[in-house]
Amino acid sequence: MNIEAIALFSDEEKDILQEVMNIAFGNATADLAEMIDIFVVLNVPEIQAMKVNDLSVYFKKNIHDFDKIWALDQKFWGDFSGSGFLIFPARSGKTLIDLFDTGDTEEVESKQIESLEKEVLLEIGNILVGACVGKIAGLLNTNVTYSPPVASQSESKDFSTLVEPFNFNQTAIIMKTVFEFENQHINGLLFLITNQDSIEWLKKALYDYLESFDE
Amino acid sequence: MKTCIPKDREYELFEAANGREGVEMFQTVKPDLVFMDLTMPEIDGYKATEEIKNLDKNAMIVVATADVQPKSLAKVMALGAFTVLKKPPRKQILEDIIDKVETQIEKSSS
Repeated sequence: MNIEAIALFSDEEKDILQEVMNIAFGNATADLAEMIDIFVVLNVPEIQAMKVNDLSVYFKKNIHDFDKIWALDQKFWGDFSGSGFLIFPARSGKTLIDLFDTGDTEEVESKQIESLEKEVLLEIGNILVGACVGKIAGLLNTNVTYSPPVASQSESKDFSTLVEPFNFNQTAIIMKTVFEFENQHINGLLFLITNQDSIEWLKKALYDYLESFDE
Repeated sequence: MKTCIPKDREYELFEAANGREGVEMFQTVKPDLVFMDLTMPEIDGYKATEEIKNLDKNAMIVVATADVQPKSLAKVMALGAFTVLKKPPRKQILEDIIDKVETQIEKSSS
């Protein structure tokens, strides 16, 4: 099945949105680096619009390298509404725990590893998704509220639960960033997906943002 | 970024779409100042900074980046960047940096 890209944004709008996403994710990784000794290698964000119907196929195409995934889903509300997804391969769970090294490995062994992995993912996800969305909202001069993040482990072939909350008749805007934790061999993906209701506001906010530099 | 550069100074601006193009353009244009992003296709800003400094150790490179991790900033300074401009840029900060670069160029040529 082919994904039909929708030309929702002009090249200029895409450029501004890409830059805003870049700034937001850059800030979010710096926040994470303050908490744990890590260096996040950033890539150029991608902006795409497509029908919600195609989201499941889109996820499959983008996460084909991972057999099983840890997915964090955090919803945000306001002028800019949608969901943030942070995806890691499930095999990186143990390394993620080590990053938050408590210095007490026996304790780690005695607890349920999966539950610890979940805790760590919630922690990392809350920072990366929360700081990224918060920074975008800040740059675009609005506020968002968040629902608590939800972390789950699943087979990477099934993305139906991630897509369920979106209205299938609508268009989704996807902001994707691929990143790597240097020296940890962990790659992850961050998707911010916002729906049709935010588009008009978003377009205006992008131009307002650009104009703020002329003041 | 471009909108923050003082218009009254009549600088000539050249824009590269990626790191590779930036290095190539540096060799043909020989600019007084390079604003370098870090997150770019083809080659990233670290590599492009390194290559430009290898071509001209006196090249003035200001890294303009959203990647504000302390390790990123330390890395670009170690590669020989003049300074770092955090994105989003602000007019006054950018103008101050350009002034510093001009002073440095004058010092080096005198």
